[in-house]
Amino acid sequence: MKATFPHLGNVYLGVKALFDGLGIDYVIPPQNSDHALNIGTRHSPDEICLPFKIMIGNYMQAVEEGADTVILTGSCGPCRFGEYCELQMNLMKSLGYDLKFIVLDMPKDIGIKELFNRLSIIGSSSKKSRLQKLRAVKTAVQIMHLLDETEALAHYLAGYERNKGQCKSLFHRCRREAMKCSDPQEMLSLIKEYKKRIEYVPVDINKDPVKIAIIGEIYTVIEPYSNFCIEDKLMDYGVSTKRGMTPSWWLKNMALSPLKINSLDIKKASRKYLSLEIGGHARECIGEAILSWKEGFDGAIQIYPLGCMPEIVSKSILPAISRDYDFPIMSLVVDDMTGEAGFITRLEAFIDLLERRRDNVLFGS
Amino acid sequence: MKVGIPKGLLYCKYHPFLVTFFGELGAEVIVSEDTNKNIFDAGIKYCVDDACLPVKIFHGHVNFLKDKCDLVVIPRIMQLWKNEYICPKFCGLPEMVLNNLNGLPPAITDPIYATSWKNLYSWAQKSGNLLGKNNRQIKVAFNKAIEAQKNHKTGIDDEGYEIKIALTGHPYNIYDKFLNMNLVKKINNLGMGIRTAEFTQEDILAREADNLYKRPFWTFVRENYGFALNSAKEKKVDGIIYVSSFNCGTDSVIIELIKNGLPDFPFLILKIDEHTGEAGINTRIEAFRDMLERRLFNESHISTLG
Ligand code: SF4
Ligand code: SF4
Repeated sequence: MKATFPHLGNVYLGVKALFDGLGIDYVIPPQNSDHALNIGTRHSPDEICLPFKIMIGNYMQAVEEGADTVILTGSCGPCRFGEYCELQMNLMKSLGYDLKFIVLDMPKDIGIKELFNRLSIIGSSSKKSRLQKLRAVKTAVQIMHLLDETEALAHYLAGYERNKGQCKSLFHRCRREAMKCSDPQEMLSLIKEYKKRIEYVPVDINKDPVKIAIIGEIYTVIEPYSNFCIEDKLMDYGVSTKRGMTPSWWLKNMALSPLKINSLDIKKASRKYLSLEIGGHARECIGEAILSWKEGFDGAIQIYPLGCMPEIVSKSILPAISRDYDFPIMSLVVDDMTGEAGFITRLEAFIDLLERRRDNVLFGS
Repeated sequence: MKVGIPKGLLYCKYHPFLVTFFGELGAEVIVSEDTNKNIFDAGIKYCVDDACLPVKIFHGHVNFLKDKCDLVVIPRIMQLWKNEYICPKFCGLPEMVLNNLNGLPPAITDPIYATSWKNLYSWAQKSGNLLGKNNRQIKVAFNKAIEAQKNHKTGIDDEGYEIKIALTGHPYNIYDKFLNMNLVKKINNLGMGIRTAEFTQEDILAREADNLYKRPFWTFVRENYGFALNSAKEKKVDGIIYVSSFNCGTDSVIIELIKNGLPDFPFLILKIDEHTGEAGINTRIEAFRDMLERRLFNESHISTLG
């Protein structure tokens, strides 16, 4: 078996560590690019959401490099993501690819037995002992957490750094170097090291940068390619950003959701505007908008793919939050036709607006 | 007390229940008019622009009712079957409507879990309490409403046409004449009979859906996919027309599943939004009929030879 998986932000590093630890052969698809999107779009149904298309591009490129098995997490939320695997399996087959899919669904939907079954297919191609396998999983999860923390730190400190661009370049270097590690433990200590270096980046605590929260549909906020690297751009502008949706948040949320003790703060904050789970992550989007206002952020940017059903509901609600809290929120829709130029213009206009609002408060006009 | 009921989305299926229930509770029930130009335009104007047409039109219906009633019913349908969901926009419908429209009367927005009569009753009870009714009155009204719903049959199964097609899609896309520009009549006028999903039994729909790798978690998937596959396999129809709206997430999946399940079966997809021109739709249906005629003719031709 030569496994592959779709890209989602930095997840590839965690998965790399996992497979390295398990001793499983794998292919990391080439980084997301226009090429991946183009081939994905060409073969996908027109109106399917953007993440689907990019993922198809990933598979096709991975197959070129010898992958024969796709490992995918499913989620049986009332949204399209849960139907992805079926369509993707059919699609790849009709394109003539001989590709196996292993879909890791929640046990409540397929039964715990079936989940273990599917996991054991992956496990059986690893020659490691049980203990080594467990350790590999643990390290991979640690790496994911650490990466998310490091990235969040870089995004936040970018607003305060004295030497412009330092946080950004450190974090990118961290990713590049991590990719070169063939030993998970080595990767872990490398990321720890970089985290420390970012923590010690010289900052000007008197700076009061514009602060923006990134909210919206999980794939398009996490995967930089799908949002024109919005967080990198904001780092360049010296804006501090925060995003609640991360791969490690997702893991934790999935693990805790059967007990209903997941994301309590978000549920509480969103209650007034959206009291029920409607699918996707609409509730998180609303909750995070309110939480970031409470934390003193200047504004929020909602990102979602065209036609995304749950986020259209959030989009209807956000103006009310914006009005009630006097908190600017901008919605950005992305799809395979979105032009980068228009995107940047809107982004810059939004930052201007946030800066002007501050000046007005200062000068009392 | 005037209770307003918008004639949008699944009203076409569940109006006997809603109208009877509130009527029996002693409310004056006001239903919005059939979708018309004004309702349509208001919906487009007030709803967020990337929503699908049926949701926009629903906004238009609520807008129509807003000065005409004291309480408006916005059905937040969460589930129709156990372990299945319907579109996220249904679950968030009240949020969309209440935030997109101004000056609305109070609204009933409690979630509806119609997976069993008992679950449905808890919605009825809350709504009845809002109207100041006691449990006994609610129970009576509820039972009558269920009776009305049970006696109500929808669906089309035309006879006497040479060509017959399966008309699939969400019920509101099939039954809202304004939205689909009188599609049913158009198809009939072109000499084609129609069959809709209601005439296929639930267990048959479910059986088809069971053949999928993954149990579909959308009710709409099971209904439309199951119906399309079953009618084609059992040769009940000669072709399938799927009426859908742009930006409908569930349809984009269902259509693909049907295409995969029936690779060689005649399948026409009509996508509708506020910019769709009637002429284009007419041409496409005509071309589809011509194609079906050719197929039928060729088939009979071949069989006489062979
Ligand atoms: S949340 Fe949005 S982008 Fe994700 S599957 Fe659903 S519709 Fe597609
Ligand atoms: S199922 Fe499709 S048409 Fe119906 S509300 Fe949802 S997105 Fe709109």
